[in-house]
Amino acid sequence: MMDILFDTQLASFFTSAAFIIIGLFAAIFLDNIIKKIIGIAFIEEGANLFLVTLGYKPGGIVPIFLPGMNSEWFAANSAYALPHALVLTSVVIGASTLAVMLAIAMVLYKKHGTLSTSKILGDEK
Amino acid sequence: MNELIPLMVIIPIACGLLLNLLHKKDRSIRILAIFVAIVLPIIPLLSNFGLHYFGGHAPLIDNSTLLGTLPSFISNSALAIFHPAITYSYQSLQKLFIFILGIVAFFAIFTSFNETKKVSGPYMFLMFMGTAAVTALLLSDDIFHMYIFFEIAALCQVGIILVSSTKGNYETALKYMILGSIGGPLLLLGIGFLLGAVGSVNITDIVYAIKHNLVNPFSQTFLIGFGLIFFGWLYASGLPPFHTIKSSIYSKALPHSAALLQSFTVITFIALGIVIFRIFSYLPFMKMVILIFSLITMILGVTMAIIQTDFRRIIGFLAVGELGYIGIGIGIGTTLSLTAGIFQAVNEILTTALLFIGFGTVFYLTKTSDMKKLGGLIAQNPKVAIMVLLGGFAMAGVPPFNGFQSKLMIVQSSLNAGFPEIAIIAVLISIITFMTFMKVFHSVYLKPKPQDLQVVNESIPTSTIFSIVILLIICLIIGLFPQLVTDNIYPFVARLI
Amino acid sequence: MGLYDMIVNSFKEVRKKVVKDSATNESVSSALAAELTLISTLLIAAIMLRHFNITLTVVVILGLGLLLTTNMPLIPKIKREQDDSLEKMVFYAILTLGILITVIYWGQTNV
Repeated sequence: MMDILFDTQLASFFTSAAFIIIGLFAAIFLDNIIKKIIGIAFIEEGANLFLVTLGYKPGGIVPIFLPGMNSEWFAANSAYALPHALVLTSVVIGASTLAVMLAIAMVLYKKHGTLSTSKILGDEK
Repeated sequence: MNELIPLMVIIPIACGLLLNLLHKKDRSIRILAIFVAIVLPIIPLLSNFGLHYFGGHAPLIDNSTLLGTLPSFISNSALAIFHPAITYSYQSLQKLFIFILGIVAFFAIFTSFNETKKVSGPYMFLMFMGTAAVTALLLSDDIFHMYIFFEIAALCQVGIILVSSTKGNYETALKYMILGSIGGPLLLLGIGFLLGAVGSVNITDIVYAIKHNLVNPFSQTFLIGFGLIFFGWLYASGLPPFHTIKSSIYSKALPHSAALLQSFTVITFIALGIVIFRIFSYLPFMKMVILIFSLITMILGVTMAIIQTDFRRIIGFLAVGELGYIGIGIGIGTTLSLTAGIFQAVNEILTTALLFIGFGTVFYLTKTSDMKKLGGLIAQNPKVAIMVLLGGFAMAGVPPFNGFQSKLMIVQSSLNAGFPEIAIIAVLISIITFMTFMKVFHSVYLKPKPQDLQVVNESIPTSTIFSIVILLIICLIIGLFPQLVTDNIYPFVARLI
Repeated sequence: MGLYDMIVNSFKEVRKKVVKDSATNESVSSALAAELTLISTLLIAAIMLRHFNITLTVVVILGLGLLLTTNMPLIPKIKREQDDSLEKMVFYAILTLGILITVIYWGQTNV
């Protein structure tokens, strides 16, 4: 048990799983539209955290090749940089999705006067 | 000229951004949009086949000077073969689909000028941005890059619905986004599992790693990655359980943008479907899962289409149901069936676009799409009615149109592969599609005109009629000379298997 | 006039009741067609199980046929389950995800 707590990578994986599960719960079961959107942000961040964690290396160094470094030593010790680069893009996508969703929520609030999803989406037929 | 490959994506993005800046300068927007829309289908015809590495980072094996300076454990390993850059791969299949997408985008933009009163810069931006995103999806050989552009395409689809200002469009857009926010991150998670197992997001590299036993392809990492990517594929292409939201999106968009939206969906379906086929075809149950979902799509899509009363919704459901044919082509997994499936995708893009634009004229004339309130519109413009009828024939698979050729190929390939049941279901569903279409045609055009039906606009714009005529001619040409299309598909498929 | 109004009003009420149940010729026939399509395609699709096991196929087809015919008006039920409400769509999405992951993950490791 203590090993799990002190292993940074494993702990991060568990955190990302918890993010995704909490986010799914919020997005499915909560009625308030803002809470739903927060839950959705949780799912996205969970997936991003998962990707970041993949690039982690215990005791690794920053993956920047400086002059004078031994390339063999660098290759053996640097963290994996690709997931970090990918997450940057995916965070931007997540943010724009979130912005669009909040904008729609604003419009719907003005139209219906309530934030309850069942009331907003239930009455249109 | 491989420099043209990135231009296929860059030109529509740049044009979209420029149009957004030019907001309210109607004349310049019109000229620029039409010009770029004409250029879009021409670029793929001029470009040569090949690969494009962004930033010029070719694989190490192609760069002998750099390879010599690296330690031997890198230069002798698979790392020397892996692709460090985002790679665009332009082959015959991409050429075909980008050309078709360019044509549909051109007609969608062209008809939108006359059917909407105001020319809107942001609306054009969304159309061009979506086109660029879907083009990138086709070209990309990098699964993460595909995810990014898929999300951009989804955002553009939501935007197109939001600007359509039909009743209930905001609600539908919100539902799509909530469902998409469950499907999208799970797709990303699946990609993460593949990245964790292989260490690369390049599809060619992943396939190489699996083929050369660098990784254990039956490990649980791969299995769960397959499950999540497959679920993301279901969401991306609107297979069940996402068929209701997909058809509802088509019905909330304006008809000409619905024509563009369905082409986005079909191309996303094909692009991601081919990726799944390339990576996971070693799994024995992969084809079975695809077949099951395709059959459910066909059955549910068509049965739901029959009982609707809104004709835009009916076409939406039919468009979703037709995706099942493509899925069957991928699911059977022989060379003939894959060719047939991809051929069917081309035909579906064209015929559904034709039907959306054609029935869009009814919506344009009367501002309603409820079939109970419609009737007798054949007197309004009999020529358009006849052309829409022919478009429906093309969709249902009546010779000599294109749908007949591809559906015949699918039936043949399923018989050859030892699945006569699928052949029977394909024929049956095609008959029901025809019946549904005739029902719509009857209640919109032939039924006596209700007295309270008001015709808002007197005449159909010439640009719309022009689009319908050209699309119909393309359908007829492909139906008469299917080898024009299949010759482009076959070499790609032959390398795939 | 009172009697006349009453008669007219009763007609209107009857008409309202009739109109509310909007079962036109067309909708009934299309529901019937959809019903037949659904049953026949599902039964034909079930025959595909013969690639795994013949006995299983016979059992499944008999069971499926019995199930489908005893629940005969299937289309209203299916239509109710597939309407545009967000809850139902999310429910089916999560259900599909669960089944897919369960079958793919544990189905492979424990066979």
